[in-house]
Amino acid sequence: MSTKDARKRIELLQGTLDLLILRTLMLGPAHGHAIAKAIEFRSDEVLQVEQGSLYPALHRLIKRGSISVEEGFSENNRRAKFYKLTAKGRRKLAAETGKWERVARAIGQILQPVREESES
Amino acid sequence: MKRRDKMLDGLGQEIRDHIEAEAQDNISRGMSPRDARRAALVKFGNPTLVMEDTQGVWRRLWLDELAQDLRYGLRILRKSPGFTLVAVLTLALGIGANTAIFSLLNAVMLQSIPVRDPQQLAVLRWSAHSHPYKIGTSSYGDCKPTDWQQPSSGNCSFSYPMFQKVRNQTQLFSGVAAVAGPAGLDLAGNGTASIVSGELVSGGFFQTLGVPAAVGRPLEPADERPGAEAVAVLNYAYWQGAFGGSSTAIGKSIKLNGVPFKIVGVADPHFTRLAPGKTQDLWLPLSQVAALRLPWSSSPEKDDSWWLTIVGRLAPGTSSAQAQNALSLLFRNEVIQSSALKASDDPQVAVLSAQQGLTGMRNDVGQPLLVLMGAVGILLLIACSNVAGLMLSRAAARQREMAVRLALGAGRWRVIRQLLIESMMLAFAGAAVGVLLAMWGANALAAFVAANRYSPLSLDAGPDLTVLAFTVGTAVLTGVLFGFAPALRGTRVNLTPALKENASGISGAGPAQKHKFSFGNWLVVAQVALSVIVLAGAGLVVRSLVNLASVDPGFDARNVLQFGVDPTLTGFYKGNEMEILYRELHTRLSSLPGVTSVTYSSGTLLDGGLWTSDVLIQGRADPSKVETQMLAVGPDFFTTMRIPLLAGRVLNQADVESVRDVAVVNKAFVRKFLQNREPLGLHFGGEQSKDPQYEIVGIVADTKYEDLRKDERATAFVPLKKHEAHFAVRTASDPHLVIPDMRRVVSGLDNELPVFDIRTQTERIERLLFNERLVARMASLFGLLALALACIGLYGLLAYEVAQRTREIGIRTALGAQRRDVLRLVGTKGLMLVVIGVIFGMIVAIGVTRSLGSLLYGVQPTDPATLFAVGILFLVVGWLACWIPARRAALVDPMVALRCEG
Repeated sequence: MSTKDARKRIELLQGTLDLLILRTLMLGPAHGHAIAKAIEFRSDEVLQVEQGSLYPALHRLIKRGSISVEEGFSENNRRAKFYKLTAKGRRKLAAETGKWERVARAIGQILQPVREESES
Repeated sequence: MKRRDKMLDGLGQEIRDHIEAEAQDNISRGMSPRDARRAALVKFGNPTLVMEDTQGVWRRLWLDELAQDLRYGLRILRKSPGFTLVAVLTLALGIGANTAIFSLLNAVMLQSIPVRDPQQLAVLRWSAHSHPYKIGTSSYGDCKPTDWQQPSSGNCSFSYPMFQKVRNQTQLFSGVAAVAGPAGLDLAGNGTASIVSGELVSGGFFQTLGVPAAVGRPLEPADERPGAEAVAVLNYAYWQGAFGGSSTAIGKSIKLNGVPFKIVGVADPHFTRLAPGKTQDLWLPLSQVAALRLPWSSSPEKDDSWWLTIVGRLAPGTSSAQAQNALSLLFRNEVIQSSALKASDDPQVAVLSAQQGLTGMRNDVGQPLLVLMGAVGILLLIACSNVAGLMLSRAAARQREMAVRLALGAGRWRVIRQLLIESMMLAFAGAAVGVLLAMWGANALAAFVAANRYSPLSLDAGPDLTVLAFTVGTAVLTGVLFGFAPALRGTRVNLTPALKENASGISGAGPAQKHKFSFGNWLVVAQVALSVIVLAGAGLVVRSLVNLASVDPGFDARNVLQFGVDPTLTGFYKGNEMEILYRELHTRLSSLPGVTSVTYSSGTLLDGGLWTSDVLIQGRADPSKVETQMLAVGPDFFTTMRIPLLAGRVLNQADVESVRDVAVVNKAFVRKFLQNREPLGLHFGGEQSKDPQYEIVGIVADTKYEDLRKDERATAFVPLKKHEAHFAVRTASDPHLVIPDMRRVVSGLDNELPVFDIRTQTERIERLLFNERLVARMASLFGLLALALACIGLYGLLAYEVAQRTREIGIRTALGAQRRDVLRLVGTKGLMLVVIGVIFGMIVAIGVTRSLGSLLYGVQPTDPATLFAVGILFLVVGWLACWIPARRAALVDPMVALRCEG
């Protein structure tokens, strides 16, 4: 895979990935690898995210104030950075989730007849 | 920066830990350590790239997004070339017009004096509660003197002795210079004789200003000493023009008013002027004033003429208040001693910054330029609201795009920023085209201004940093003005219906859209209102111009060519030789083919000049002096100018040659001074017996004299003797055709006598009306542009609405609505907007047109006829702009309309 393609994919997924990270951090602070695994697990491995793309997204969220970072120790007792949802991030998640649901519903409505047709 | 470093700290370690953890997971799933590690790496992606991207989040987020927005904006604008073209051209008109007027305003009002450290330069100005007694004062337009009709007085001209005293104040000033002029000088010795414009300056002039010589040397203090060789320094542009920029000009001897002068140098090319617009061909030492026979001062040492403008640089550590106190004391002693003013007049001297104090051309073109700046400002507002309207209808069309972008997680501000960047791109494209328009426009304007002035004029109307900053500022402001509201509205999208719109087929105006339309409506109303203001102003000035042009001057101004000759300058005419020259000129010019009659006078009527005199009139009940206008004339003056004779006789050749003083007065003179008395045979004249006492021998009809605005006032015409003269030649057809013959006649009599100021009487009147013509011409142009823009805005809005409502109109038609009803539906809306706009515009116009003040003549700022005409014009043109979309709506085929969205 050329680097150019990789960049493109990160960009395309940007909005969605941010949302997924926020949702994951709702459950509590986590370090990078844990977040990646949680997203993979919770989406039944449908959403195949290049794990690396997590880091630019995390930093974007830090910069926007949606999450914060603190030092801690991981399961195997190593020093690690833990990412934590801020109050602002919580509000953003609520708003974005609502928006996303409206979009999904709208797209669903549009697509429905097509699906019915093809199913029948 | 710190936060960023803290956040990025240990990123590499974090990534390594991440891959390590993933590999561990894989191993615990049973992979070999090698495979586990490879799988973890594949899953992670390129760590270096991830590092870069993450750092990039902090480093380039803003810049990246900007570049992205720019690229995207460019693509969007390219995708709708029609919209882009209209928007860019509209903005180019608005910004271009503003830049053009501003560059003139900049040249006249703002540009700093082209000398070293111009901000240090000061100019002196005196003031007093009354007028100085028996003192001639003139600053030759360097600064604006207090109106002479005021009881108090003030100007920036001083006597030579006063200048010397100021120059000796070395503890106050590090340098002081005096300047007088321009003087029209008769130059011989470099090709044909010509009239050049020169300033007399003190020896330290160039030193004080810090102006070096481009070639040769500047004037020096030694040049001002009595008995020093007469030398001259040329203006760089004049040197280029008249001497072809040749270095052989240095050391060359020329004759000015018959006096030999040696050219010693050429001034630095940047030094074009001291006061705005006052360009000189050459500079001469002050001490030559007597040799050149200039009327300002018979000898420099005398203190009865205040003819010098004094500029200086304050010494380091001296405040202008200190200098002001010291100089006021000097001035008071000086004027009280010479009894020019009394202590009770409180004579004072102010030390002003030269930038503010030396007004020059600002005196006469300042006001019209400010009026025009107001007009183009309004034009820009119209252009902005026009483009805002376009953006708005586009925003509606792009609603789905916005909805998709918002839905995909773009922040609202990010989308607004994107839209603003598109606006900015339009604004800057408009500014770029506008600057080209402006450069052409400003030069054309500067040429128009220059063509209407008598003295040479240099207006550097080219774009400089100030103009550039102005244009960029205007572009940014414009972009925000027309982009912000549409961007806000455009991103206030209710996602679900917006995304659904087309798919579900529910078309038309949701609540959000209705709201938006009312904003679009207001934009059109604003455009109409603003255009009404500009057009009303233009209409008033045009009407004033028409009124002025139809004023009867009291004589026949058509087909008269005038030119000046000044034999007094050459110094060769002694005794009655001048009379003989004039008689000969009169005879020879009269015999030219196409010439019907010839005369001459001390000045020309309606040329802005005026000669007044205080006289005592014999036999008046009130024995005090009265002021009358005077004009010295030669034979055939009244027949040539076609001024009717009412009683007595006109002046003839014999009167010019006779020692007896006779005069012809006008009707206003009789009406004002000689009621119930027989005027013929009465005498009037100066107080003293040596002053001429004129006997009234005739009465003529009234004429305008100084300008067209002032009423006909008492005027006395006396025979012209030993004075420069303007010859007037009345021709049967185009008077310009006799110019070559006329020149031949003059040079046939005296080859060294220059002919100057060759213009027809009509051209003189036009120059007199220059401010009115400038404003009328430009404001009409801007007014029509404004009208066109407003109509385009109205048309655009209605056309868009009709397109949006095609389906609704189709249903209406299907349900039996007639074409007439549909026409009315759309037309009424449009006309309503126009009417509201016109009403608002009128209300504001009534308040604003007052600022036109002195430009108006014979018309009130609230002239109902003009306002009415503008209103009607708008209704008619507005109706046309409505009619086209309304007709298109009426022609909607209901079947097509219903099917296309069904």
